Amino acid sequence: MTRTLKHVVLLLIVVIWVLPFIALVTTSLRSETASKTSGFWTAFTPTELGHRFGTHERGEIEPFVTMSGNIFERLNKDRETFEVEGDVKSILFKGRVPDPEREGKTKLIRQLIFAGEPMDVRGGEFVFQANGDFTWTFPEATAPRPKNLDAFINQDPVFGTDAYVEVLFENKNVPNALIASFIVTIPATIIPITIAAFAAYAFAWMRFPGRDWLFVIVVSLMVVPTQLAFLPVLQGFSGIASWATSLNAWMTDCETTRTCQVASKTFASLWVTHTAFGLPLAIYLLRNYIVGLPKELLESARIDGASHLQIFTRLIIPLSVPALASFSIFQFLWVWNDLIVALYIGPADSADLVFPIRLQKQLGTFKDQLHLLNASAVISIIVPVIVFLSMQRYFIRGLLAGSVKGG
Amino acid sequence: MSSIRPIIAGNGLAIALTIVFVLPITAVLAYVATAPLDDLMVRFGVWLHETYSWNFSTFDTRERFAKIGFAIRSIVIAVGISFLYFWLTNWLNQGLARVSSKGSWGKESYIIEAIQPWIFVGPALVLLLLFLFIPAFSTLSLSFQEADGTRTVRNYAFIWDQSALGYVQFRYAMRNSLMWLVLVPTVCISLGLLIAVLADSVKWGIVAKTLIFVPMAISFVGAAVIWRNIFAGGGIQPQEAINGLTPSYQIGLLKAMLGHTAAYNEPLYSLKFWGNFFLMWILVWVQTGFAMVIFSAALRGVPEDTIEAAKIDGANPFQMFFRVKLPQIYSTVVVVWTTLVILVLKMFDIPYALSANDDDKLLLATMMENARNNWSVGGDNVENLFAAIAVMLMVTVIPNMIYNARRIRREQKELGH
Repeated sequence: MTRTLKHVVLLLIVVIWVLPFIALVTTSLRSETASKTSGFWTAFTPTELGHRFGTHERGEIEPFVTMSGNIFERLNKDRETFEVEGDVKSILFKGRVPDPEREGKTKLIRQLIFAGEPMDVRGGEFVFQANGDFTWTFPEATAPRPKNLDAFINQDPVFGTDAYVEVLFENKNVPNALIASFIVTIPATIIPITIAAFAAYAFAWMRFPGRDWLFVIVVSLMVVPTQLAFLPVLQGFSGIASWATSLNAWMTDCETTRTCQVASKTFASLWVTHTAFGLPLAIYLLRNYIVGLPKELLESARIDGASHLQIFTRLIIPLSVPALASFSIFQFLWVWNDLIVALYIGPADSADLVFPIRLQKQLGTFKDQLHLLNASAVISIIVPVIVFLSMQRYFIRGLLAGSVKGG
Repeated sequence: MSSIRPIIAGNGLAIALTIVFVLPITAVLAYVATAPLDDLMVRFGVWLHETYSWNFSTFDTRERFAKIGFAIRSIVIAVGISFLYFWLTNWLNQGLARVSSKGSWGKESYIIEAIQPWIFVGPALVLLLLFLFIPAFSTLSLSFQEADGTRTVRNYAFIWDQSALGYVQFRYAMRNSLMWLVLVPTVCISLGLLIAVLADSVKWGIVAKTLIFVPMAISFVGAAVIWRNIFAGGGIQPQEAINGLTPSYQIGLLKAMLGHTAAYNEPLYSLKFWGNFFLMWILVWVQTGFAMVIFSAALRGVPEDTIEAAKIDGANPFQMFFRVKLPQIYSTVVVVWTTLVILVLKMFDIPYALSANDDDKLLLATMMENARNNWSVGGDNVENLFAAIAVMLMVTVIPNMIYNARRIRREQKELGH
């Protein structure tokens, strides 16, 4: 009994955890109409959805008495994906009918007309069947204007990758965000790890005054909220930028083209800021690892006359690969997923926004195009998830070694 | 040996000055020298564009490949500069020591040994000093200033003065912070413990743990988008008029399960007061995996003999967990708890993404952003107000910071250093 209960409870938790992913991927693979008019859970079974179709093309019709056609053919004529198939349940009739209460007047009604029932469209009788066949009959030969009708169709499940094609190739924002995120993340991972590895070695194996105190201060900085630093750091960067602007004006002929202005919020400012914010955790993790390396090894290398730089590059780095890997995956995920530092310090130009900011903006711009929003989210999480799953072992090791840094 | 001090100071200064001049100039020169590579990259992009006949404009391709080229150059230069630093300083240190020690080998190695550690920790310390340490204090000082620099406590008036800008927001932020602070770590830790125990006792536990762990890799904004599919409501009317005539177009799973009709399309996270709990849940979803992994490892580290002894004494599984295992991993629980508390106090992304301008959902970090964007009507001291809220944020973190510093001191002593 308790054994079954265990399985059931765990399964329930796993389902709750995985369900949002299913929602995400499903929504991204649906059509625009489907994604914004019905829940993702209806995507797997026939679902009643609304579609608008035109009876015929404007100006390509000869006068007729009876026209026949097929709703699905009309709907699918311009589609290559998300072809609509299923049963037509009803059509929304909107029009004026004689008002039974007031003689000689008409009233506007909205009513669902079901398959097989006749309805009045532009003076003709319009009848449709569940399989989509329709006839449109007039008392005498007429060439009516085309009419758009809203059909509710019990639609068979259909999936497609249109949303991905659209966000990746037809919309500039997502490719730009992807490029910007890589531009920010790669240096912001490599630079701190280089700097931190040297510092960690010094804290672990070299003697200098104030070493232990400095180490405690450095590690304490791990919990300082980064918000505290934004304002002065920004002021610093704009100081540098205005200095660089005047240097630019002095050294080059930029004044003729008015391109002297050097931006203060750039990729470079993000790199440096991320580097600084990542250092405390990096130094802490690496130092604790390097301290644990066998002392005899280092001492014998010293006796053989190796310099610190040689010991560092030939001994410490190869031996610390696990710790370096676990920090680099931390930093990679942290920078890739960061919103707030990029928001305050990063470039504000629309083409240079990193993915989390772009996604945050798309929550607003794509609020009626959920398939695009979800496709964009899938693209943004696929990189960190791949990195994460392929280096999970190192990530967990890092977590266990220094579970101090908050986010 | 007393005469050696000035030499060390002189050499150190010489190295520092060289670095300060050489590195930026090298960086600028490297950028200028490698600029034509962008052009190559653009040509490559255009070639690709034509070969695969991409269906967006060539202008986009040019722009994008120029940026990729710039990125590659930047990465190589940035990394190159940091390696150059260590190589150059090492070389300078040895060279200067050889010259200034005038042939005394002992003196030479003493000088090298004295300067070397500072070369290694130097960049880290300078960066931390410039980007965390000094800014923290200058924010503190800014928060007690008017825009023109005169001393004031006016920026903190939102704490006590009902007419001050941010009085209401601050109360909401504090109320919400408190709720987040109590609920998120508690739920994460309880769920994490539960999952750790359950997963370690079933065969497919490793799969379960991986699946629960994956959200750790996702950005908070991504998580917000993901949960939007569950919590959001309504849906757009597909055609002009479908009211009441068609099946419910509810698109949020949870809202549909609660039986909300399409007409009632307020997202659950926007509900007055209760919306906060849905935002919290998103953070719980992301962070439970973290608690689970740590506890899972800690539980495996519980000594076998204590468990055996409890078994012999006839403990049932609940007693086993609460009386034997949990007390032994108590310190781990505390570590996870402090980590989560800091995370919650700094929380920004989730409320910012889903309910940015809603006072009812404010936390201190989102209140700061609100102040920066919306309070500029309040006067010229917006930046100082911003600083004041940042200081409030810091104040909430300080107890944790002290605790952490103590823990690390203790840990270092145990490591024998």
